[in-house]
Amino acid sequence: MKNYLKLVNFEFNRIAKLYAVLIGVTFTIQIVGVIVQSRYYLNMANEIMYDVMLSKSQFLENYDKISFSQIMNSMWFLGSIWFCVAAVVFYIFIIWYRDWIGKNTFIYRLLMLPTTRLNIFFAKITTILIMTLGVVAIQLIMLRIETLLMKAIVPKVFIRDISLNEVVTIMPEFNFIIPNSPIELILIYGAGVSAVSILFTAILMERSFKWKGILAGLIYSAVAVGLMISPLFINEFFLNGFFYKIEMFVLEIIMGFLVLAGSIWTCRFLLMKKITV
Amino acid sequence: MIEVKSVEKKYARKKILKGVSFTANKGEITCLIGINGVGKTTILNAIMALTPINKGQILIDGEPLTKNSFEKITFIPDTITMLPHMKIAEAMEFMNDFYTCWNQERANELLGFFRLDPNERISSLSKGNTAKVNLLLGLALDVDYVLMDEPFSGIDMFSREDIANVFTSHLIENRGVIITTHEVGDIEHLIDKVVLLDDGIVRKEFSAEQARENEGKSVIDVMREVYQR
Repeated sequence: MKNYLKLVNFEFNRIAKLYAVLIGVTFTIQIVGVIVQSRYYLNMANEIMYDVMLSKSQFLENYDKISFSQIMNSMWFLGSIWFCVAAVVFYIFIIWYRDWIGKNTFIYRLLMLPTTRLNIFFAKITTILIMTLGVVAIQLIMLRIETLLMKAIVPKVFIRDISLNEVVTIMPEFNFIIPNSPIELILIYGAGVSAVSILFTAILMERSFKWKGILAGLIYSAVAVGLMISPLFINEFFLNGFFYKIEMFVLEIIMGFLVLAGSIWTCRFLLMKKITV
Repeated sequence: MIEVKSVEKKYARKKILKGVSFTANKGEITCLIGINGVGKTTILNAIMALTPINKGQILIDGEPLTKNSFEKITFIPDTITMLPHMKIAEAMEFMNDFYTCWNQERANELLGFFRLDPNERISSLSKGNTAKVNLLLGLALDVDYVLMDEPFSGIDMFSREDIANVFTSHLIENRGVIITTHEVGDIEHLIDKVVLLDDGIVRKEFSAEQARENEGKSVIDVMREVYQR
């Protein structure tokens, strides 16, 4: 356990600076987005009021107020969120390959540590989880700051106030990373951890068997994903929605655990018996 | 004792090791000699479970390698096994964090011995100094066995002398060492036992001292006999 925690700390520190840059860039883009979108709305409102000779109240009768969800629906926000998702997905691969590639073969040291090699797997998957949850947590804080910023730029009368909860619910991108209920949270993040474990298994297969490993990894990934979605698929197409929602939830949890356990077992086997530096 | 028993290893369809067997004792320096590509590094990797073997068995003091064995045996590859952005001091801290057998006193002694600056980054070191850091990180562990892969390869004359001096010091004393090389000249006088490899098999395993005393032959003489036959 102690070695696992030390490895998590070590792995996270390896990416900490880049991670800080990623978060910095993401939220700078979002802040710029809030400023640009807010000013764009204000300019538009001013132009219309000036050109058509409307009073504030007449303008508000005929035109929509601005809401934070409008700002979030822009590329400034969606782009930055997809940028973060892409960066984390990219790092799922880099977190392993960086130990093999280049002049410095750090994988020698990792595999020669006096601790179970499975701790390397757990430390890397925990780092990915910390990175993801970190982005989500900081995003939640930033949403509050960004809402305040919009309110500071746009006069109150022009703002259609909607709560952050509503904003998050309206937008599928946010609804996905910030689930609405504990059940969704377990499903989404459980599926996320299982998906990362599948990718880790495929990567370790490639590292162990090279070209044959790529093929094995692809087959393993297809089978694992198939298993994970099989309850949904069978219920929808063969049983005509026979199961209740809660039963489907339990079945999905069981499948997720099966895939996760299978991936952990396979990774342990590969790290212990098949890996090549 | 490290026992390598009938080890076979294939890369794709090519058989690199075709039943290699030898032993290396504690307190002795065993040298694996052979031309490039003969499988010397593969044997060391296999001993440390860094590559799987197709057949055979490897035992360390009568037992297969486990996670605890890494407190008993260490491997110094021919490339640095630490992150390039780390300072030497940080690399030592990492070792201290994970290995209970890390001996900081010995690490400090080695720093002095090799005239290394702990605040220097690994990425900025010369090839010779990188090899010395690698050696430091391995030798500062209080382990019974040390495996070294080509420690003299591609480094300057003075660094080679420094590293060769380690073998005659107390830093190696009482440990079992397996060293691979294709240039035996640097350490011929230090070797206790020689394992000559060729074409995936052990062509000859002999005691360097016995060859000298009984047959009046140097290691190089025996190599000539074996390889030019």
